[in-house]
Amino acid sequence: MKFMRSASKQLFATLLVVVISLPFVLLVLLSMARSWRYPALWPQSWQSTQWTVFQDEWQTLALIALRSLALAVSVATLATVAGFFTSHGLARQRQQGPWLALALLPFAVPPLVYGLCLGQGFAALAFSGHYGGVVLAQWPCAYGYAVLICHGYWTPHHHALGELAAGLGARPTQIGWRVHLPLARGLLGVCLFQTALMSWFDFALVRVIGAGRVQTLTLTVFDYLAAGDVRQAASAALLLLAPPALALLIAPRLLRPAPWWRPSP
Amino acid sequence: MTMTSPPSAWLNVRGLSKRYGACSVFAAVDFTLDLGHTLAVIGPSGSGKTTLLRILAGLDRADSGSVYIDGQDLSAATTQTRGAVYLYQEPLLFPHLDVFENIAFGLRVRGLPEVKIKLEVNTLLGELALEGFAQRRPESLSGGQRQRVAFGRALAIKPALLLLDEPFSNLDAQARASMQQVCKRLTRHCGSGVVFVTHDVKEALIMGECYGRLDAGRYCAYVDRASFCADPATGVQAERAFWCDDVARPDLTPRPWIS
Repeated sequence: MKFMRSASKQLFATLLVVVISLPFVLLVLLSMARSWRYPALWPQSWQSTQWTVFQDEWQTLALIALRSLALAVSVATLATVAGFFTSHGLARQRQQGPWLALALLPFAVPPLVYGLCLGQGFAALAFSGHYGGVVLAQWPCAYGYAVLICHGYWTPHHHALGELAAGLGARPTQIGWRVHLPLARGLLGVCLFQTALMSWFDFALVRVIGAGRVQTLTLTVFDYLAAGDVRQAASAALLLLAPPALALLIAPRLLRPAPWWRPSP
Repeated sequence: MTMTSPPSAWLNVRGLSKRYGACSVFAAVDFTLDLGHTLAVIGPSGSGKTTLLRILAGLDRADSGSVYIDGQDLSAATTQTRGAVYLYQEPLLFPHLDVFENIAFGLRVRGLPEVKIKLEVNTLLGELALEGFAQRRPESLSGGQRQRVAFGRALAIKPALLLLDEPFSNLDAQARASMQQVCKRLTRHCGSGVVFVTHDVKEALIMGECYGRLDAGRYCAYVDRASFCADPATGVQAERAFWCDDVARPDLTPRPWIS
């Protein structure tokens, strides 16, 4: 029985690795294939010229990747912090339904339509074509998502722990740092990661609000595709997938709630 | 039956009322308590005992009435500045902190030096018979041990007022008896005023030095232990009748469940 359980565990782990690594393998094959026509299961011939894009445009791509990362981190941080505080306020309300429905609103509108609606106003306020404008446009979606995720933290038990800390003399900031932050660490990690991905993979809002002056890695991949260069797009897509994959690898350690937290003396 | 409070009383509760919408929880609650004494308040479930304690702790607001401690009106005081610690029915421990850090919590937020914190916490661990448990996690403790830690954490900050909301109701008889003694000893040592809420009349008699009853939105304060025991509404007489007549002389008053 024990052996069966261990074997099924191993099988599951192997399947997981295969599923996660499959897109990478496919992208590498696609980027190095000179000709790969249906119904062949394997490329007929190989070439590595596509990879020269990284040599020729290394600095440009690195800059775009860094800017995309900064954009994602900014949106994720702002949304998670605001979402956590908002969900705290929301949990104290008796009528939470309408507010939660409001948090869902950004997801009811397709990003392209949402971008078009914002576009005119952003252009008038001179927010278009700036990274700040894109952060501002992406923030409501990420914020709504963060509110919904963080809302799950404010259970009666966690409220009671906050009240208990207050009774022991802790100020609101101390309650936040010493009680809620360590307890919600895992949840906040998930929220940061997810909202960062929302921004990292966003195409429509960057295209509309960025007005061609804001370039992200997702847009770069799309530009290669639009130019008909599938192999070049596959090479750049590898770069696009790298940070989320890296985050997934280290996530189990980062996102684990702190069970054993001891404040430094 | 309601006792008039002496002006020298340390805790003065005057005309406290609370409603939730159209439903009145209690009205015109008056009582007093001297420092270092324990007031045991009994009442059935839903009589507003927890609400009363939460108002005293500053966790809820009363609709009317006032609370004075040492002559000072606490209406504007926050939970943090009242010096009143409310202990929940469940031994609520911080799950991310070990036993030592749970007890040290109130001292750390006050910014006390590490040496003093260690000294205070180790002393309390000794008094609570938890010496070997300092590094243990809350989930690895028994119900009684968790309640001891919760007590230690509350007493570490030497609160002026300790508000106990049926703290032993989830413990077995043996742990309960032991905790009652620990609680009495430590609160006496600490010198805090204690409001102890329970629905168990025996526990009220063990823990209390003065008594009150909250029922159907009305608070009744008793002058002394004798008047508390004499009032049929408290249930003391029924309890005594059970133990003296029903159990001690089963041959005279046979009960089908005993036979």
